[in-house]
Amino acid sequence: MAILTPNRLVPLAAFILAWVATYMAIQMGKQGKIKIRRIPGLDAIEEIVGRSVEMGRPVFDIIGMGVFTDIYATQTIAGLSILSYVSTLCARLGAKLYAPQASVDVLPVAAEIVSESYRMEGKLEELDIEEQLPYLSGTQFAWASGIIGMAARMRPAGNIMIGPFWAESMMFAESFDRVGAMQIGGTARMYQIPFFAALCDYVLIGEEMFAAGAYVSGDPQQIGSIAAQDWYKLAALALGILGALLATAGVTIIGDFLKM
Amino acid sequence: MDYRRDIPLAITFIVGVIAVLDYYTTLEAVTNTFTVIKNWGVVLQAFALGLGAVNLFRVHGKRVSERTRDDWMFSAWLLLMLVLFVVVGLGTGQYDASTQYAWIYNALYMPLGSTMYSSLAFYMAYGAYKVLRARNFEAALLFITAVLVIIGNTPVFPATYQGFFHMREWIFGPIVSGAYRGIRIGVGIGAVVLGIKTLVGLETGYLGRR
Repeated sequence: MAILTPNRLVPLAAFILAWVATYMAIQMGKQGKIKIRRIPGLDAIEEIVGRSVEMGRPVFDIIGMGVFTDIYATQTIAGLSILSYVSTLCARLGAKLYAPQASVDVLPVAAEIVSESYRMEGKLEELDIEEQLPYLSGTQFAWASGIIGMAARMRPAGNIMIGPFWAESMMFAESFDRVGAMQIGGTARMYQIPFFAALCDYVLIGEEMFAAGAYVSGDPQQIGSIAAQDWYKLAALALGILGALLATAGVTIIGDFLKM
Repeated sequence: MDYRRDIPLAITFIVGVIAVLDYYTTLEAVTNTFTVIKNWGVVLQAFALGLGAVNLFRVHGKRVSERTRDDWMFSAWLLLMLVLFVVVGLGTGQYDASTQYAWIYNALYMPLGSTMYSSLAFYMAYGAYKVLRARNFEAALLFITAVLVIIGNTPVFPATYQGFFHMREWIFGPIVSGAYRGIRIGVGIGAVVLGIKTLVGLETGYLGRR
C-alpha cells in the first residue's frame, strides 16, 4: 500500500520547498538582508486610529465570518493579527474599538487578544469586552444587519475589514462609507476584492493581507518570511510561462508533472 | 518558559503537523488521530455556541434592563426570538426537523434574510456609481470596460450585433482571467507561507501575545 496519497507527490514536494524557503527567508530577515516595500493600506491603520481619536468617534475592526476549521482559516488568522495591532493602537491612543463577532469559536480568541492588548497598555479598565466585542449572529445577513445598524448609530471614524468576507462586504463598505468612515479593506476572497476596491480608501489585494501580521509587527524575522512568498511567486510565474510556451508547442510535460 | 504562550504554540504545531500528514499520506493511524481531533473540534464548537448565547444574553439583557439606549426594544425582540427558537426546538423533541420550528424559521427568518440579500442590488448600484466616475485615465478605462461588459450582458445588444457578445467574452477571457489567476496564485502562496509561520510559532498574532 502506498504511503502517499495519490496525485499529491508534487504538492507535498512544493509544501516542503515552501517550508525550506520560509526558513531561509527568516534567517535572511534576522541578518537584516531583506527589505520590503511599504504597504499603504497597513500604514494607514495608525492614521485611522488617530483620526478617530481626533474626531471622538469609534473605530471598527471587522474580521469576517471565518472560523478556524475551514479553508479560510488563514484569512481569519491574518484578521486576528491585525485586530491585535489595532486594539493595541486603540488602547495606546485612547480610541474606542468595536469588533463585532460572527463566529463563536473565534469570539473567545478575539476577546483574549483585545484584552491582552489593553492589559499590555495598562488600560484594561477602559475595555468593556462584551459591549465592544459583541457576538451578533452566526448567520450572514443577521450579522450584516447588526453591523450596518451599529455603523448608522455610532458613526465611526474608521473601519478596518481584514479577513474572509462574502456578500456582506459590499453592505459594510457602503454603510461605513455613508457615515464618513475612513476604510481599509482586505480579503483573499476574489469576488469581494472589487467591492472593497470600489468603496474603501485602501485595499489589501491578494497575498498582502497574509503579510499584514508580519508587516505591522516590524520584527525582522517576520518581515523576512514575507520574502518567501515572493520567491515562490516568481517560481510559479516561471513555471506558468514555461508551461504555457510548451503547451502551445504541444508539449504537456509541465502540466503532467504538476498532476503527479 | 511562558506556559500561556508555549503550550498553545505546541498544540498548534502538533495538530497542524497531523493535519498536514493526513492530507498527504494514507497512514491509518494518522487518519484516525485526525478524525478524533476533528471530533474534539466539533465538541469545542458546541461549547463555543453556548458561549455565544451567554454573550448575547448578557449584552442584550443589560440593554433591556437599563433601557438606556433607544434600541433596547430590538434587544428584547432578539432575546424573545432566541428563547422561542430554543423552546420550540427542544419542546417538540425533533429540534430543527420539527414542523413548528421549520415554520418559524421559514416564516420569520427566511424572508428577512432574502430581503437583506436582495438589497445587495442597491448596494451594488451605489458602488458602481462611486467607482465608475471617470476622474482620471484609469477610472475612464474602467468606465469604458464596464460599459462594454454591460452592453455584452444585455441581450438586446448581442442580438443586434454578435460582436458585442464576443467583445465581452474577450474581456472576461484574456484580460480578466489573467489578472484573476495572478491574484489567485499570490493568495494561495500567501496562505501556505502564513500556515507554515503559524505552525512553527512565528505568527503569534492570533494568541494576542507577541
